[in-house]
Amino acid sequence: MASMSSGDESLRLCVFDLRRGQTEGQELDKILFFHPPELDVSTQLSVTGLSEGLITFTRLFSPEAACEVIEAERHSHVFYEPEPDIWMVMGMLKEVHSLFVMFHGSVRALLEKEPTGGLTRAQLYPFITDYLSNLFVGKKHQLPNFRETTLSERGTVQMLTLSKDTSLEVQSLVQVLDSCGGNLRCHTMILFQDLLVSTTLSPNDTVNLFTFAVMRLTSQALSSDASSWSYLRKGTGSSEASSRSTSAPLGSDNMHSVIRPLQNDKWTKGKDGFLVTDIWGLETGGSPDSIIPAVWLQQTQERVYLLAYQYKSLTLLLLLSTTAILNGDLSVSDVKQQVIEQASLRIMKIEEKISRGWGGENAYHVKGYRYLVVDSGLEVSRASPSGKVATLAKESLLALNKLREEVDLEKSRAKRQERDLEICIRAKNNAWVITRVTRGKELYMALEKASDTLLDATDAVGRFSNRYCSGAFLMD
Amino acid sequence: MKEKNSATTASTLGRILATCSKQAKDYGSCVASKVHEIEKDLCLKQFLALKSCMQHTVKIMSPRPSSSQTSVGSGALSHAYIQHPSLRCNVPESRGLFYDDANRLLICVTSSQVFSWETATFNPDVSPSVDSIPEGPILSVRFSLDKKVIAVQRSDCEIQFFHRETKQTLTHKCRAGSESLLGFFWSDSPLCDLAVVKTSGMDLFACDSAMNLRLVETKKVNVNWYIYTHESRLVLLASGLQCKTITGFQLSTAGVVRLPKFEMTLASTESNSKPIISAGDVHLVTVYGRIYCVQVDMEAMLLHTYRFYRDAVVQQGSLPIYSSKLSVSVVDNLLLVHQIDAKVVIIYDLFVDSRAPVSAPLPLLWRGYQGSDTSPQAASKENESPESSTSSENIVMYEDAWTFLVPDLILDQTNKVLWRVHLDLEAISASSSDRTSLLEFLQRRKLEANKAKQLCLGIARALILERRPATQVTQAIDVLVTAYSYSVKAGIYKELKNGKTTATIPTNDGASPDNERGRASGSSIDEEEEEVEMNLPSGSADEQQESQLSSPAISPDELYKFVFASVEETMVDESDYLVAIITEFLRSISAEKLKVDLNIYVMTIRLLARSKRFAELSLFTTNKIIEPSKEVALQLLESGGQDPRVRKLGLDMLRQLSLHHEYISSLVQDGYYLEALRYAQKRKVTSVRSSLFLEAAFASNDMQHLAAILRVLSELIPGFKETSEYYTFHGLLNETSSSVAV
Repeated sequence: MASMSSGDESLRLCVFDLRRGQTEGQELDKILFFHPPELDVSTQLSVTGLSEGLITFTRLFSPEAACEVIEAERHSHVFYEPEPDIWMVMGMLKEVHSLFVMFHGSVRALLEKEPTGGLTRAQLYPFITDYLSNLFVGKKHQLPNFRETTLSERGTVQMLTLSKDTSLEVQSLVQVLDSCGGNLRCHTMILFQDLLVSTTLSPNDTVNLFTFAVMRLTSQALSSDASSWSYLRKGTGSSEASSRSTSAPLGSDNMHSVIRPLQNDKWTKGKDGFLVTDIWGLETGGSPDSIIPAVWLQQTQERVYLLAYQYKSLTLLLLLSTTAILNGDLSVSDVKQQVIEQASLRIMKIEEKISRGWGGENAYHVKGYRYLVVDSGLEVSRASPSGKVATLAKESLLALNKLREEVDLEKSRAKRQERDLEICIRAKNNAWVITRVTRGKELYMALEKASDTLLDATDAVGRFSNRYCSGAFLMD
Repeated sequence: MKEKNSATTASTLGRILATCSKQAKDYGSCVASKVHEIEKDLCLKQFLALKSCMQHTVKIMSPRPSSSQTSVGSGALSHAYIQHPSLRCNVPESRGLFYDDANRLLICVTSSQVFSWETATFNPDVSPSVDSIPEGPILSVRFSLDKKVIAVQRSDCEIQFFHRETKQTLTHKCRAGSESLLGFFWSDSPLCDLAVVKTSGMDLFACDSAMNLRLVETKKVNVNWYIYTHESRLVLLASGLQCKTITGFQLSTAGVVRLPKFEMTLASTESNSKPIISAGDVHLVTVYGRIYCVQVDMEAMLLHTYRFYRDAVVQQGSLPIYSSKLSVSVVDNLLLVHQIDAKVVIIYDLFVDSRAPVSAPLPLLWRGYQGSDTSPQAASKENESPESSTSSENIVMYEDAWTFLVPDLILDQTNKVLWRVHLDLEAISASSSDRTSLLEFLQRRKLEANKAKQLCLGIARALILERRPATQVTQAIDVLVTAYSYSVKAGIYKELKNGKTTATIPTNDGASPDNERGRASGSSIDEEEEEVEMNLPSGSADEQQESQLSSPAISPDELYKFVFASVEETMVDESDYLVAIITEFLRSISAEKLKVDLNIYVMTIRLLARSKRFAELSLFTTNKIIEPSKEVALQLLESGGQDPRVRKLGLDMLRQLSLHHEYISSLVQDGYYLEALRYAQKRKVTSVRSSLFLEAAFASNDMQHLAAILRVLSELIPGFKETSEYYTFHGLLNETSSSVAV
């Protein structure tokens, strides 16, 4: 169970397990993570108690499926207080959970393995703190600026559009990389800057790995590390919190196995083009293979080693079966050698080709439109560049926010069924804010031409749909 | 049983030995004579002769029931062969055999007659033309290029010319004593018609229709001997004590070009400090439109190669020699070096930089019969026939009386027969391990383009079926695609340009892959044959099949049909591997800007869906690696049975292609009635019946849907409420649920 509230200026985030601490006086055992950690225990307990009460209460009305603001995933639930910017918070909670599971496996599995919850707490504290430190800009823990996030969708990937030729080159490279893993199929993911070029993973795994790569691995993430780190050192709250939280509530016997995959500024590019980190370096220390970063794949429930290779703006992720390597069928250094020998030339050529055809950060700007297109089936989204979204008037943004909230509510009501929706709002500044949801695809759009009639606006949406979405959004 | 078997074996061996008695005896006596000093390969020559004879005999005696022309001798160890029937030129009282390479005439002379056979078509039934000439000695004979004049060298100072129509005669003499005549040849250069080579140089003459010779030019060079081939239009004049200084002229249609003088390489040893090159040591070789000269250096046991450029002669490296007697042939742009003593032939492809032979040294084979009637009866009948004096007993491979003619003929002076040297591409393929180079080699073949093509297809299939590493298969595919692209650009691949029936592969050779192939190509066979007839000049059926292809290039469509489609079924569990290979194939195609049958895309979708590689399927579709088409969209819908996201890709494609009817039907099928109606209305699609929506909604048992659709339809279509359809469904609706108001 995770709960987040941002009623006053500071943010509270809690992860707790309802199954734990059932007896009087043991309530503290429920709490797996609490932020901020400096909050006194009684406040922590009251927050979790309230959350628990709300959940139990809503269960009375909907015993089968917990109330719509509880995200159910087997036994671990995500709960949040319905405050403004709810959809955004929700996305973050989902994301941090997915990332945690990717690196550590499910919380439930961790707890089963180690019932005291010590290890789980030890992993959760630094993990979430690292995640938050990445999000928060400013001294206080504030949610990200809605100006930047209104037209974006967490939990989706952003794709680079490629020409057929380039795409074939990329797929050919994927086959070559695949063969670098010997007889075993090895999954790959390729990014150009922070856009996805190719993946062989399932959509869920792609989203998780993509999110992580954009946070920590891409050329931009590597180059921006220095600056964001310098901020974090200045900021009092988060960095102190993270250093404290890793040690505070734990028994010392678990210390050695705590890894902090989201730690900032821990990745560097090696001479051979592979990215190196010491995050996993503490794990055992035996063979060099044991310090290789590893992640869990949702699709196959398989733990795989993560190799990252970078050439200029191109980042390639290779996922190697850990069992094959532990069995000795495959060695990481061999795979690296293979990649350098077989693929590095192609990688260079592809980087060059993509860079040449790349329109820059405003490549997907469409004049006159501020838009977001989400394909929830493919978990892919595309939006106007943030610099362009920032030019929208506050009124338009507020209306957009309202619209997104509305759609989220409608979607969660519809549960897993696909809904058909069409909403047009005239904002206070006379801008048109329009959404169209059809068969798993969503379009959000702000049109700030005040003189437009509704007919003009829907025509504009229709033109956009035909031109850029292959006519997916028919307007009435 | 056992006894009977061994009896059969014994008698077989007996028959073989009887047939090869001479060779067996030779080998035996060789071993016997050297029994004290015997070591390996000492009697190699005799052994190879015996072996080759035995192989022939076995072939002839036990033909396999399924054997067709291609399978005869495919099991024998040889890469080159001569084949029955030969061209016979046995004229009574024959005084000599000559070959006129310019006109490709085999000439047999008697004291007063000239018999000439056309060899270009190599038809054994062709009858010779006969011309009478005055009696006299004949050193050489050449017909003029228009074949109106026969020129005969009578002595070392006299050439006589006979006009075949006017019977006019002319005698040309050179100055006796001071110079002697080495030979002559006709030329088609604009400057001269006849070149006469003498010890003092070369005279070029123009010759008019009245056979008046006019000296045009004299090239003064001291000449010991000369060689000329009409295909290269090149004459090499050798001078110097060792005859290693070469002056060359090309008498081409562009004029007479003097090549830079050059020295041939000649090693000297203590025993022979000044070896001399003879005319027989030097051969002009024309391959791939390039002219080479190969020269025997017996002291060094090397065959030096030189390539002629317009302004330079460049030595190109050397080939080893394994025999004291050597000759060369050129078949299908390949250099065949006959190691006459060793009775083996080594094949080189001068196209590649490497001077490694195409395949191991193996004997030249004699093949008895071509065609399907390789039955023992036919064989014995042929042996009994009185004409057949060249049955296997009489053919001695590489006997002294063999003359090697440019480019690929062998004249057997003893038996008075002419053979053409053939290559056994199958055998060469079978013995080659590097398949990429082999494919390149086969793609360069022109003479048996169809066979080369079939072999290439077979190799490509085998590479995939054997699950060779993708990189290796990729290389192979690249070779084939590049070769195709080149041949299209060069205009060689003509047959296939206009028609869509790209498969011009005959389906009657018995190789096993044909079954698959026949299935894959299906109904297109009939069309193919029509096209062949339209395109081809007259000729025998066999020739037609061979000659219908001028290039072994394989189009992408053929690669799909005969390679990918044919292996798909056997490799159901290897979808990943096939996808990897098809991706490379598509990349190769795209790099060469070629088109391919859309079925390859349908297949790719099937494979990706089968191995549940949704992410890639989506990438392939959105990035248009899989080109959109109705067939592709329908396959996506079908494969989408397992994954709704795949189905959506199919739907999106239908919409993008404006296939309104299919799109609406699929939407309705998936339960998106309103979206379908909305689309139909927006796109003004009238071909979709309103009952489609109603029936689908009713079938789905969702009465709310049915009600909604009825309502929308009655608003959309004027007068809909009056139709029988409305009544039917409205009635159904009311019966099923009275609570839903319309």
